[in-house]
Amino acid sequence: MLNPAPGSSLTTSSPRRRALSANTLGWIWVSPWLVGFVVFLAVPTAMSLYYSLCDYPLLEPPIFIGLSNYRRMFDDPIFWIVLKNTAIYASTSIPLGTAAALIIAALLNNKVRGVGFFRAAVFLPTVVPLAASAMIWLWILNGDLGLLNAILNPILKPFGLHGPAWIGFRGTGDKAWAMPALVLMSLWGVGQSVVIYLAALQDVPESLHEAASIDGVGPIRRFYHITLPLISPVILFNVIVAIIGSSQVFGAPYIMTQGGPDRATYFYSMYMFDKAFTYGQMGYASAMAWVQLVIVLVLTALTFIVSRKLVFYRSA
Amino acid sequence: MDHETPTPLSTFTRRGVLGSLTAAGLGFALFGPRGAKDNRDGRLVLDYWEKWTGQEGAAMQAIVDRFNQSQSKLFVRYFTISEIDKKAAIAIAGGAPPDLIGLYAYNIPGYAESNAILPLNELASSAGVNQENYALAVRTLVEHQGKQWGVANTCGSMGLYYNKATFRERGLDPERPPRTIAELDEMARALTIAAPDGRLSRIGFIHTEPGWWSWDWGHFFGGSLYDPVTDTATATSAENVAAFDWVQSYGKSYGVDKLLGLQSGLGNYSSAEQGFLSGRVAMVAQGPWLANILKRFAPDLDYGAAPMPVIESLYDPARPIALIESDVLVIPRGAQSPEASMEFIAFTQRREIVEELSRIHCKASTLATSTPEFFATHPNRCVAMHDQLAKSPRAFTSPRTRVWLEYKDEMESGFQKLWRLEEPARSVLQRVQDRAQLLLSDAARQRSARAALRAKV
Repeated sequence: MLNPAPGSSLTTSSPRRRALSANTLGWIWVSPWLVGFVVFLAVPTAMSLYYSLCDYPLLEPPIFIGLSNYRRMFDDPIFWIVLKNTAIYASTSIPLGTAAALIIAALLNNKVRGVGFFRAAVFLPTVVPLAASAMIWLWILNGDLGLLNAILNPILKPFGLHGPAWIGFRGTGDKAWAMPALVLMSLWGVGQSVVIYLAALQDVPESLHEAASIDGVGPIRRFYHITLPLISPVILFNVIVAIIGSSQVFGAPYIMTQGGPDRATYFYSMYMFDKAFTYGQMGYASAMAWVQLVIVLVLTALTFIVSRKLVFYRSA
Repeated sequence: MDHETPTPLSTFTRRGVLGSLTAAGLGFALFGPRGAKDNRDGRLVLDYWEKWTGQEGAAMQAIVDRFNQSQSKLFVRYFTISEIDKKAAIAIAGGAPPDLIGLYAYNIPGYAESNAILPLNELASSAGVNQENYALAVRTLVEHQGKQWGVANTCGSMGLYYNKATFRERGLDPERPPRTIAELDEMARALTIAAPDGRLSRIGFIHTEPGWWSWDWGHFFGGSLYDPVTDTATATSAENVAAFDWVQSYGKSYGVDKLLGLQSGLGNYSSAEQGFLSGRVAMVAQGPWLANILKRFAPDLDYGAAPMPVIESLYDPARPIALIESDVLVIPRGAQSPEASMEFIAFTQRREIVEELSRIHCKASTLATSTPEFFATHPNRCVAMHDQLAKSPRAFTSPRTRVWLEYKDEMESGFQKLWRLEEPARSVLQRVQDRAQLLLSDAARQRSARAALRAKV
């Protein structure tokens, strides 16, 4: 407990020179963040909960309609399409991205010549602006002139096949291949996870590997039985971040396909955005936002429950 | 610990801290960022949001500059805003709108029904801007529920652009473009070239290039998507079904995979890789602005334009059928001085200004009549055709309903299905119709609920 020295400003009895308690000062110092939190997060969140219970066409005042927006969602075929698309995207891009990031991190953890260059090269795509990388990928995935099909076509030609029209400008590609193309593109951004995995891998005690090697354990079994358990908390963290990120996927499909062809790449956040700002149904969009929050919370909670038996926490 | 030396923080007094915070707040209020407009020699400053960039934006900026020089009461500031309809809605809802907004004509029903823009009937007539001066279709575009909500500043009339060199190459008369759907199909087949590996290296005509109006094919068969009198969707009319059966005939005839392969290789609209510019599509449904794109990226391409072909029974060269779209100037709710905003609008509607802007945008004039000079100095060699389309009594617009954007997206999604031959046109259109009718009914119900609430208040 603070017990100030005699004569300090904290002990003065004059109201004009009354000093602030450490507690009050603390509140003052954090007040800019608090004001920002209340004004830009807490109040808008509370308002969106209220709007989700309203008919609110943005340009007119909201009218309270109870749970109608939530009920409408169940009858809205587009809602189910975007939910399904988002689930497919998340359930394919998360395992693929996690596996790819782990493998790349394991490779970059080797002490080989020029490893610094390779690490930078893997991380580099994550700093390229999304719009720029989306345009690059549009050309890579171009069915007729794209780089990917230029590689695939000579391989497929002997079988009488050719590369698909992955994604065309303005969402004109092949409906069956548009989603796989976006999942493939999501691997472009694994550099961030790779860096985190790399840090975790470097934290694995070398002595454990040495001991296992002496006992004749091969590199793959060492990775499975030593490395994976020790970095499992980091994998859990990355998976949760990926669940949140992939449930909100927006930028790349918005730029590349606008949800097409035939809504094959139309995701939850895109529909929510359209409902709010294109169709002017802010109440319905707010209800969608709350459903999205609940879905993400449930998935995160499930991941934590499942992870209890899979994640190994080292004692300090 | 019993005793602690006071930290330097403890020397902050309440008066000192509160005084500092007050001083900071006052400083922010006095010298910080503000919404108030800078004073331009005592003139009233009007903010004008417009969607145009590049050459089109520069043309409008020049007109704004001329207005600012022409008088000393008002000063208009021109701002280019992307996705203007969305941002304008947010600004109006937030109570901080600009004074003038350049929207798309299809935005008018939604904005008007929400009272987000002001009716201009009285303001316009007192400023000398009379609706009778405009082409009939252009008038329709700025009206909703019997009121005028904006003024058209340019209009696009869609026709069929064709590559004359490809016509010559295949032995077709370059001065005789197709007039009917049957002729279009025949010429399209003649102009199509398959590569040795079976892929299409060029196609005569494809419905998805540029793919902006996948909903409007029914009009060239005598159909429409909406009946404004009964407020009902008419997607399943016999004419629409026939039109989309025709769309499907291309997939059946050329092969969906081949069409998809070709389409996938076509580049961005404003680039030399665009289908028509690169020579990979010989005929496209397009607006007059294509002339500007051609001038920039393919100046040597020999092209012509004609009204969009229609079924034989509808063919009438004196009354072509064409889609008309328009950019509109509106005054948002909350504009500081609607009269001042109208003064600027009236300036932009002088004949010489309308013609100048239309020329730079390569479009036909919005006015019912044009001067001979307009045609003589126009950079679009096909302007006379576009002018005829804009003034045709059979020119049509997008459905005038607030749910149009959602309806259009349903049509777009349905089009993708039927174009790929996943389902017969009739069943796709039935689904679109059901969904569109639901949207229309929802909108009608909301209108009634709001009207009842207003009456109650």
